[in-house]
Amino acid sequence: MNVRSQVSMVFHLDKCIGCHTCSIACKNIWTDRKGAEYMWWNNVETKPGTGFPTAWEDQEKYNGGWACEDGNLRLKSTSKTKTVFNIFHHPNMPTMDDYYEPWTYDYQHLFNAPEGPDQPTAVPISMVTGELINIKAGPNWDDDLGGSPIYAENDPNLRGLTEQQRQQLFAVERLVFFYFPRICNHCLNPSCVASCPSGALYKRGEDGIVLLDQNRCRAWRACVAACPYKKTFFNWSTDKSEKCILCYPRLETGQAPACFHSCVGRIRYLGVLLYDASRIEEVAKRPAEELVEAQRSLILDPHDPAVIAAARSGGIHDSVIESAQRSPVYKFVKEWKIALPPHIEFRTLPMLFYVPPMAPVMADLDSGTVKNVSGGLFHDIEEARVPTRFLANLLGAGNEGKVRYALRKQKAVRWYRRALTVGDVTHAEAAEMLAQADCSPEEAEAIYRLTSLCTFDDRFVIPPMHREEAIEMLADPLEHKQSTGFGFLTGPRRGL
Amino acid sequence: MNAVGRRERGVLVAFLGLFLWTGGPVARGQDTAADFRQNCVSCHTIGGGRLTGPDLKGVSGRAERDWLVRFIVNPQAMIDRGDPYALKLLQESRGVVMPQFSGMSAARAQALLDLIAAESELEESQFKGLQITDRPFTTADVQGGRGLFMGVQPLRNGGPACIGCHTAKDLGGLSGGRLGPDLSRVFERLEGRKNLAAWLSAPATATMAPIFKNHPIASEEIVPIVAYLEAQASGGGEDMSAGPLIFLLIGLGGAGLMLVVFDLAWRMRFRTVRKQLVLTSTGRGEE
Repeated sequence: MNVRSQVSMVFHLDKCIGCHTCSIACKNIWTDRKGAEYMWWNNVETKPGTGFPTAWEDQEKYNGGWACEDGNLRLKSTSKTKTVFNIFHHPNMPTMDDYYEPWTYDYQHLFNAPEGPDQPTAVPISMVTGELINIKAGPNWDDDLGGSPIYAENDPNLRGLTEQQRQQLFAVERLVFFYFPRICNHCLNPSCVASCPSGALYKRGEDGIVLLDQNRCRAWRACVAACPYKKTFFNWSTDKSEKCILCYPRLETGQAPACFHSCVGRIRYLGVLLYDASRIEEVAKRPAEELVEAQRSLILDPHDPAVIAAARSGGIHDSVIESAQRSPVYKFVKEWKIALPPHIEFRTLPMLFYVPPMAPVMADLDSGTVKNVSGGLFHDIEEARVPTRFLANLLGAGNEGKVRYALRKQKAVRWYRRALTVGDVTHAEAAEMLAQADCSPEEAEAIYRLTSLCTFDDRFVIPPMHREEAIEMLADPLEHKQSTGFGFLTGPRRGL
Repeated sequence: MNAVGRRERGVLVAFLGLFLWTGGPVARGQDTAADFRQNCVSCHTIGGGRLTGPDLKGVSGRAERDWLVRFIVNPQAMIDRGDPYALKLLQESRGVVMPQFSGMSAARAQALLDLIAAESELEESQFKGLQITDRPFTTADVQGGRGLFMGVQPLRNGGPACIGCHTAKDLGGLSGGRLGPDLSRVFERLEGRKNLAAWLSAPATATMAPIFKNHPIASEEIVPIVAYLEAQASGGGEDMSAGPLIFLLIGLGGAGLMLVVFDLAWRMRFRTVRKQLVLTSTGRGEE
């Protein structure tokens, strides 16, 4: 057992209101620069929809992530041989059009326009070329377009849905959509790291944050093609790739990342998970339908004395272990099993988990009145407007059981709380639902508290980063003792 | 200026000093015979008869020394001024103006004239010129010349093969180089074996001179090359196998073919997703 710690995340989709505050917080801090205009390290997508870049989930087009062939994991986008033969051209590179051409507006024209019969307008100008452009796409082009025949209908997660389910998704007055905020998943088996010919990407040993060394990046852009989530971006101005850094300067000073901190719906949770690094490869090779469970088995119980001992011997500080024991992420993922990894079939083992959203129930329009049908206890989940098949494609590698389990438990908690506070559900009914949903009243109470009444400190259990110890993994601090000291950093300037 | 700047300046001064010290003697001392061999023998002989330019044997008797110096330094200026003797020479050489040599000075011209005068006294000057045979060339000569021209048989002194810069009528295919003139009719242009052989013994143009200065064509190689060029000129006409237009068309066709090959090699590559999605979904064929 090789115990490592990872700062992991949970996004509670049922609480996301799609306000994009997280995206703006991130943009203002990190990507408001030349060459980074088009980057959205954090973005919020509407589902069903194609997201950013367009249809990024379709790996038959983008060739991101890993393929498991003959018991071997290999990158879909590149290999050592392919790198040689494609040295001047990467065949799987997304084009600017698939992201969007960043633009601003010619605001000066509003002031400088010569007097004329028409009101002057601020025309859009490309931030790449400076020329006038005709905007064809944007970072959030299909925002709230649940029934769009162009974008929503081409959501790759719709595969496997019956014709009837598809029609219901797009029928008038039955349209449905939910929000899907995304940042870098800081994967356990990151394909971006594996693909980099320069070795510029690395996963930080102490907290698992995947970073990109700007000094070592040689603009191969192999990471851009290899990341199935398309969360590394190429800066066309500096000729270096960039990605989400999970605001590590904020984490190191005990603050939540900007997108977490600013989240209006309080959907974001952050905490440490302990995992067994020696089993990563074995888990990543499992058949797709087993992946969710296999990844969960990687995550270790921080209360288990054996795990604690192994963690200590692996150099993990007691304060980090203590932080892992209080981790909200551990509760959502491992204890309650209601948070699921996005597209784990890409086999990068993402460490950002999503609580699937409770969709509105299917409604019948009966001579002008909307009638909610709700037979049976869990009928609504089966008949929800968003088919579980769709959610399973997105969050369960096609495994509908995992999604259904998470939805049933959430629903049971709601009924339990209704029995306590509203009273239109009997305690007996609520208890039966909890039992069927594999949930004790204590657990239901805990889920309710962490979902609805969570404070900053409940949501963000940030471990002490111990940079002073982390640096010892790479360099011996005593090596430079007595060899450096105070003095001039640059030579003194003197006359001729 | 800091210490580093001072050191750099010191290095620069030392370097310049070294350059002047090595460069000086070379600039002053000129082997006049070598000068003549390099620059004059492609058009002149001393006692070997006229080539493009007149035989220089006894040239001091034909014109004033002062006139000769001025002519050598700048022949074009003498012609432009309408000097009668210069115009006569121009007519005799069928309009070929003697080139003005870079670095030619009155002192150098005097030295050359001294050399010519001394050589004229001799029974047999070393600059009598290559006495090329009058016999009809055999097929073997022509074939040997073709080999040398095409570089199949390398030139003995390491000079580059003619085909690198020149073409000729019978090369076919993509023919030879296009930097220098087509040599199909050079035999006619230079009026015969003697001039052609003299030219080959010391090519004097700005392009060829520096190349062949240190790698001269050996005299037994000159005969087959002349034979080959004579055979080329016999039928008239020039190299038409790949005229500029055909050359361009072949180039464009080749480039197009390469694009097709690249497209096939990378046919699985990533193409636009969004545009395609919009086009197929709207079905209008436009965004």
